Amino acid sequence: MIIYEISQNFYQRSVYTDLCSFYNESMENKGKTTDYAVHIDSVSFSYRSDDGSGTEMLKPALDGVSIDIPNGSYVAVLGPNGSGKSTLAKIIDLLEIPDEGTVVVLGINSKDEENFWDIRENCSYVFQNPDNQIVGTIVEEDVAFGPENLGVPNPELRERVDQALQYVGLTAYAKREAAHLSGGQKQKLAIAGALAMKPKLLILDESTAMLDPVSRDEFLSIVEKMHKEQGITVVTITHDMTEASRCEYAYIVEKGHVTMQGKPHELFADSEKIRRSGLELPVYAELTSELMRFQRLKVTASDLCDQNTAAGRAADAAAARISCKSSELESEHVKKSSSEKVILSVKDLSYSYGDSKKEKTIENINLDVREGEILAITGHSGCGKTTLISHLNGLIRPQNGTVEVHTSDDEILITSHPKEIKRIRQNVGVVFQYPEYQLFAETVYQDIEYGLKQMGIEEDKRKDMILTAVRSVGLDESLLDNSPFELSGGQKRRVAMAGVLVMKPRILVLDEPASGLDPKGRKEMFSLIGKLKENGTTIILVSHNMDEAACYADRICYMKSGKLLCIDTPEAVFDSNGNTDIPRPLLHDFSMKVRSEICKKLGGMIDFGPVRRNAREEAKNILREVILYREDHHA
Amino acid sequence: MLKEMTLGKYCDTKSPLHRTDPRIKTIMYIVYLVALFMVKSPAAIIAAAAVTFIQLAVAKIPFRVIRSTLMPILPLAAFIFILNIFSIRDGEVLFTWHRIIVTNEGLHKAILMAVRIILLILSTSVLLTLTTTPLKTADALESLFSPLKIIKVPVHEMAMMMSIALRFIPTLSEETDKIMKAQVSRGADYDTGTVINRIKGYITVLIPLFVSSFKHAEELAVAMDARCYRGDVGRTKLNPLKITGKDILAALLLASGVALILVFEFVRL
Repeated sequence: MIIYEISQNFYQRSVYTDLCSFYNESMENKGKTTDYAVHIDSVSFSYRSDDGSGTEMLKPALDGVSIDIPNGSYVAVLGPNGSGKSTLAKIIDLLEIPDEGTVVVLGINSKDEENFWDIRENCSYVFQNPDNQIVGTIVEEDVAFGPENLGVPNPELRERVDQALQYVGLTAYAKREAAHLSGGQKQKLAIAGALAMKPKLLILDESTAMLDPVSRDEFLSIVEKMHKEQGITVVTITHDMTEASRCEYAYIVEKGHVTMQGKPHELFADSEKIRRSGLELPVYAELTSELMRFQRLKVTASDLCDQNTAAGRAADAAAARISCKSSELESEHVKKSSSEKVILSVKDLSYSYGDSKKEKTIENINLDVREGEILAITGHSGCGKTTLISHLNGLIRPQNGTVEVHTSDDEILITSHPKEIKRIRQNVGVVFQYPEYQLFAETVYQDIEYGLKQMGIEEDKRKDMILTAVRSVGLDESLLDNSPFELSGGQKRRVAMAGVLVMKPRILVLDEPASGLDPKGRKEMFSLIGKLKENGTTIILVSHNMDEAACYADRICYMKSGKLLCIDTPEAVFDSNGNTDIPRPLLHDFSMKVRSEICKKLGGMIDFGPVRRNAREEAKNILREVILYREDHHA
Repeated sequence: MLKEMTLGKYCDTKSPLHRTDPRIKTIMYIVYLVALFMVKSPAAIIAAAAVTFIQLAVAKIPFRVIRSTLMPILPLAAFIFILNIFSIRDGEVLFTWHRIIVTNEGLHKAILMAVRIILLILSTSVLLTLTTTPLKTADALESLFSPLKIIKVPVHEMAMMMSIALRFIPTLSEETDKIMKAQVSRGADYDTGTVINRIKGYITVLIPLFVSSFKHAEELAVAMDARCYRGDVGRTKLNPLKITGKDILAALLLASGVALILVFEFVRL
């Protein structure tokens, strides 16, 4: 049987190499630059910045980058924040002019200035922040902005606008005000604006980074439809690996260099290198490679070429003879918060904005937060999460119901009592989404100090508290005298968090703390949250990422259209017999595929229990259950 | 707080007044404004109020919107009323109390000024902001001022700047709200304390707001570049301004409204 497997493996690998060489040949045939949508040859670029004293400083962003993107392809440029990947995108659209090297876009060399607009007219660009690319006040006027600039006459202009709006499904919103659309709709509007220009090349610069999973999926489906139906070349800049796995080819950019390139699954096969470049594997590839790693098998690109193949290969690996030591399979000990003590409780809470009492933003919420736990509040944008957390520290007074906060000496404070508000805000710290946009002071020190000042804490006590807060978020003390506006994005976020932590809240509410961060940044953020929990802070985490919620939270609650559908441990919430309205983590979905493949292979039903919190633990779990099943069967 | 502001907010009721050419509305607005400041007689003021209310009715502006438009202006109207009533001492004395003297002239002037400011705001709203999208207003101004292009006045750029500024009002007000919430969570207090302390407190909102405005501006400029914006050279328009028969009719009706006011002012019956 083993021999069969090996030969099969060989067979597939040779087919695979054939495919590879085929692809390479076709690339070679396209060797003439005119066949490439984008041909970039050893391009270097530096940002010029003034250091204050008048001398110019050069900050290199790209250093000798060469990439080729064939016409009609769908290519991802991956890399951590600050790797230069966005600069690369801007160079393609001539929004930045390279210092050195050749850029040929759609067969036109960017060196000739007269060709400048020919290139830009055929490239459309969708940026990250939806608000910063909408020019028109009314939806249809914004869609028309691009073609208007191109001088497209009526009635063709009207036709293009209407078609573009229909294509992205915003026809009903044509006359609405663009500013009042949701984030997902705004990005669709940006796509419509791009589509109306009839581009040959579409560049997405982290366009989905600010969207929730549902909007992200809708957005990508529209893009992929454009790519398939209209043959538009798509270049997507991202650090989301699940998104990357949907592409045909990928480049990894790191510190201004292209470090890896290939089809996405070829890159995923080298998990070590991916991680070293500050990225991570998509969930399916991670579980597959964990399983194969335990079984001492080498992951090949062909194993990961799509989810179903990967599930099959992962199951093959798991069902083979176990080759790891049983000690390796012991599950990591997770310290469960045993406390049943309630620290914050929400009772029958309802709230509606505006005059209409009919449509409630949140309705009949009942929620007990236990001391020392991480509670994740999940749900899609607009489900009422932000309204709920605004109640927790009395930013919003409840219209119906109460919010009770228990202090360290078991006193109960109620947010509807104006006199208790100040103490409630000391107990419940809230860090809103993108907290870095709230920094204001001249120095980091003063910014963090602000809350203490407002609370009336004496000056001599403040310094120690500030230092503790700075250390707890992992910031360097030497930054205290810097201006917060000079820091990097990740550092700014830490300063903003320290500004809340400095008041030593017993409960910390974090609204999407990892949004906009790259995989490495996200991991660091969650390990920071873990440390805060260890120090005894109760954490309420608001997130739309189910995988992260399942991985880090002790309990999860899920909200839908203002109602709380459930609150329980991740294992119970995502139980296969549970409420199917609740979206499952990606790990859960893929693991179910692997599990059923294993059952098929072993010809029996195996009860694997709940899906574990991360890919490694789930891999161990699967292997343990397979061993148990084998033992039972032989007995 | 800022969400309550309706001045500058478009209210789409699809009325004939909404569809009227913005240039006509702009010109008629100016004519109407001049008329409003010419009138002094009570009859003409009543006529002006009637004309304004007819315009509001034609535009189908809901009462809720009218109320929220007027709310922020009432303190100013009250202030002007009080200032006038106590400072004007001509005419017959109606009422004295200690050093306060109220005269009929003062009362008349005070009412006139207060009503004027209210009508001014209402007509600005109904003829411009509530019934005309900011982009159309900008279009109208661009078109009306286009002769100035000959003497190198950057009319198009100014109109574009104006429409972008208006476009960002809701975005920035939303951001203000978010920043305030965050600072309040950290113990900021914008509602109590001395005036100076309150103004100082707003620094914690204004600085982040400025920083983000610059960021918006910077990124928007790049986005406009990417969408091939290069001034008004060779630019077409999705909804070009066109004067139709209906627009001329609307202009005549609006003009007759002004005429009516002036008749009441100057023709004493």
